[in-house]
Amino acid sequence: MNDSDKKIYRAKVVNDYVLGKMNRRTFLRNASALGLGAGVLGTGMVRPFRSFADSQSPLEPSADVLAWVKDVSGPFAGTTLRLATESTPPSNAINSLLKHFFEEASGINVEIEVLPLEQVLQKLTLDIASQLGTYDLYYIDQSWAASVSRDVFDPREQIAANPDLAMPDYDTDDFLTALVNGISLYEDRWVGVPYDIPIFIMQYRKDIWDELGFGAPETLEQYYEQAKAITDTMGPEVYGATGQMKSGHYSLECDWTAWLWGHGGSIFGPDNRFAGNDEAGLAAMEYWDRLHATMPPGVTSWTWDGQGQSVAQGVAASMMSWGEFFPYFDDPNATKVSGLMEAARCPKPKALRTLAETGFGEIPGVGHQGGSSLAVSRNSKSPDAAWIFMQWATCYDTQVLITALGGGTGPTRESVYDDPRIIANNRVGAGTTRHLNVVRETIAKDMGSEPDLPQWAELSNDTIPVRLGKYFAGEYASAKEAMDDIAQATDKIVSG
Amino acid sequence: MKLGVLSADRPLVWMLPLVAMLVAFTIIPLIYNIWLSFHEYAPFRRRLEYVGFENWRMLFSDSRMWEALGTTMFYFTVVLLVELVLGMAIALLLDAEEFGFGFLRSILTLTLVVPPAIVGMMYLLIEDAEFGVLTYVLEIFGILDKTTPILATGSLALWGVMLADIWQWTPFMVLIFLAGLRSLPSEPYEAAMLDGASAFMTFRRITLPLLSKVIAVATLIRGIDIFRMFDYVFVMTSGGPGTATYTLSLYSWQQTFSFIKWGYGATLSLFTLVIILVIANLFIALAKVRW
Amino acid sequence: MIVQSKSSRTIRTLLGWAVVALFAFPLYYWLTIAFKDGREIFNYPPDVWFFSPTIRNFEEVFGISLGFGFGEQREVLPGGGNWRMGPRLWDSIVVAIFSTVLSVSIATLASYALSRMNFAGRHHFVSWILSTRMMPPVAVAIPVFFIYKELSLLDTYTGVILIHALMNLPLAVLLMKSFFDDIPKEIDESAMVDGASRWLIFRRIILPMVRGGMAATAVLCFIFSWTEFLFVLTLTQTGLKTVPVVSSTFVTSTGTAWGNMAALGAAAMIPAFLFILLVQRHLVRGLTLGSIKQ
Repeated sequence: MNDSDKKIYRAKVVNDYVLGKMNRRTFLRNASALGLGAGVLGTGMVRPFRSFADSQSPLEPSADVLAWVKDVSGPFAGTTLRLATESTPPSNAINSLLKHFFEEASGINVEIEVLPLEQVLQKLTLDIASQLGTYDLYYIDQSWAASVSRDVFDPREQIAANPDLAMPDYDTDDFLTALVNGISLYEDRWVGVPYDIPIFIMQYRKDIWDELGFGAPETLEQYYEQAKAITDTMGPEVYGATGQMKSGHYSLECDWTAWLWGHGGSIFGPDNRFAGNDEAGLAAMEYWDRLHATMPPGVTSWTWDGQGQSVAQGVAASMMSWGEFFPYFDDPNATKVSGLMEAARCPKPKALRTLAETGFGEIPGVGHQGGSSLAVSRNSKSPDAAWIFMQWATCYDTQVLITALGGGTGPTRESVYDDPRIIANNRVGAGTTRHLNVVRETIAKDMGSEPDLPQWAELSNDTIPVRLGKYFAGEYASAKEAMDDIAQATDKIVSG
Repeated sequence: MKLGVLSADRPLVWMLPLVAMLVAFTIIPLIYNIWLSFHEYAPFRRRLEYVGFENWRMLFSDSRMWEALGTTMFYFTVVLLVELVLGMAIALLLDAEEFGFGFLRSILTLTLVVPPAIVGMMYLLIEDAEFGVLTYVLEIFGILDKTTPILATGSLALWGVMLADIWQWTPFMVLIFLAGLRSLPSEPYEAAMLDGASAFMTFRRITLPLLSKVIAVATLIRGIDIFRMFDYVFVMTSGGPGTATYTLSLYSWQQTFSFIKWGYGATLSLFTLVIILVIANLFIALAKVRW
Repeated sequence: MIVQSKSSRTIRTLLGWAVVALFAFPLYYWLTIAFKDGREIFNYPPDVWFFSPTIRNFEEVFGISLGFGFGEQREVLPGGGNWRMGPRLWDSIVVAIFSTVLSVSIATLASYALSRMNFAGRHHFVSWILSTRMMPPVAVAIPVFFIYKELSLLDTYTGVILIHALMNLPLAVLLMKSFFDDIPKEIDESAMVDGASRWLIFRRIILPMVRGGMAATAVLCFIFSWTEFLFVLTLTQTGLKTVPVVSSTFVTSTGTAWGNMAALGAAAMIPAFLFILLVQRHLVRGLTLGSIKQ
């Protein structure tokens, strides 16, 4: 096999695995045969202190992990590390509840700046472009991975380069492979490790669905019919579906991709040209228009906040969107739907392209993922201390605590899903984990991932959502015209 | 005589701190931006590279920029006029010692202490199509209903943003005009009363001319800030729907920080500066403002 | 002024109250949100007058417990909770007060000279000062970021205070100059004939006369520093943060914490409003912008 054949085959293998056509064992065997290397997908290391705690054990870091932290960070005591992150459940849990354990054990100060997504991008941009190293760690949304790939360390290289500082059971294989591919991998480098994973799942009002005699939607078409039936019978008090369709905002692009991929379309074709204006792309738009009619009229001014609120307040009966919201819906103090929601996998797509039929490593799938990585900046003045913190923040033990304390966010490590402390939270109430099995299955079988290219930040934050916003404001004569316009603008930006 | 240097008529000595600050923080950035406008950031080589006049050429052929300029000019004109007229009207209304008017004047200043970024969020909620209190009020009066989300309708979104600006800054105008009204001499008014002039004529012939400098300075100060307005659109609409509320400052912010096009961002900023300079100097000349 | 009939005075009183009520309403509504729990904020029709008030939002924002159950909370709430914003309010106060003092002092000195001393190009000089306010903040923020990095001023009080003082200088100079212009030059001249120096005249005679003007200028500088967003966002990390920037922390990946944001907004109005009340006596009288002398 020559190199390019190898690449295509590897892509196919990954694709098959992501789509659930290949089990993990076969995948690993094929992958290592293709030279992905033991570091990436090795057969698992010794796990000296990963004894599963029982569900009654207190939610505090394990003594072994803290002992390791203490052990390796001696030379770095007094260092200050900085990280700018989006306000996500893991970051909030680490910042407000877990950070002090690390600081006490290591003597390293960690300063975490919690900001909205756009502002994190601004901080990151300024730091990278100036190469000043004001931040030691980067929080990298998957849509920026390509742009910053050269500015961060590949964690596998860090393990290899400095075995003394490597956490004994850190185990990079434990990260869900689909997430590594979708979030962190750019070309052949890991842009950090998967840090959090908001992903599209179906969240619907069980009571309303039962009342109307519906089962969880099996196909996209069925979902539309159910949503329409609810809006027709219960509207305008209750609408069947909702969305995050604010013009010019990244969230609108996220919604679009789910429908696009679900109709067998893709953002890019194999020729790396925009493909959203082909037949499948237009079928998706036609579907989206119909579904839009079943949503509250305010959707076109909402990001995920308004979308989540519309469900939480009982205005919308379902949303196919970020699973991170599910634990919030269950909080009786904050919402009107506590205990009424049910999580399910997204409806089956009408058709699905394979990885080979798309461009720039785009992975089609109705379960749009919006994960991010954590990585050590190459400009950092203390990369070793940052690396210690990063291992601690993303290790098994910490991730269990984040998931249990941080409001039931989706873990990026396979093993965390099975921890008794996580399973113990499988009940109705704030911070529930009763949706996590769906999340796990979605990651393995339905996950869709945006393409990786340096221009993607501009395309996904501006080019596409601004024009889609125009479309929903009625400024284009037809979906075809809108998509052709996006195609033209996108191709121009991609070709530079 | 502790400070000997300040004793003589040496203006530069008195103004030294001011000049030092302005040079350090405005001349240097200006030169840097001019330099930057001839460069562009190359993401893969991670450095700024010389591109000649490319950014400037792009600027003039960029239809998004022209549209943003149009939006900015429209926003600027409407908001400035409304704030001036409304501010003057309210100042005239409150320039009396009726029951509780002192209290009312202090309450009005409250809108100024809320950061514009929070005001944007506040109006985002107030104008929300599903939960907003404004939506509710408009629905009661039958003006709009929930099917027309203010901030997501091309023809309404900019007005929705303007509402936040006008709400926050009209009291600023009231404050300045009230102070101006308070300082007016009383003789011309007594004379006008003897002549039996109407209230409107008194305002036109006496108040307006006497207040002309106050109005001119208030217009300049507010005008500059309105033209550079960023916070409200950034928070409320992200420039949408489509490009309906893209202003120049939002566009240059986005180019600079979201797309890492520092060179083009700087070019846009310089262009904005030039336009403000032209408008302001035209105004200063036309209104015959003498410092 | 014009003598008014009783009924027209009543109309004026009512109209004044109605207009101010219209402006106060959004603030009132925002305040109610600070006291509502998550479910009530989004009731439709909105609960404007009646709701069950809670101070939980304030407890969460400032990380304090007033005995309403927050103390026992062990979980991180969806969207955060447990924000500990108290120190950030303090940052805002420090930055606003010191930058105000700085810009008013610099501006007072400079505008006295601009008002009293003649030199070539004075008119253009004032126009130039004004023009420094016309630069879009984005264009200033990036170069200043680099300058600050060199001078180790990033993420420090000094850095933010300097840039806020700078931002307010054009406004402060313009205002202060107008107040000096209002004072007849004959006062200086007669003192000078008596042999007093410029500094003595300024310090002993003129400065006491512009106190009201300084107060008015200070209020505006304070307000602009209190509400500034982009500079603080760009030039700080974790060392300090003012209210406008930190309030965006409530915009999270799992929705916006509206109640908390409103609570912080409400709490942040208090120091600024107190400052205004403190100097209000001078405010209306002071903001004349030189209208007396035409």
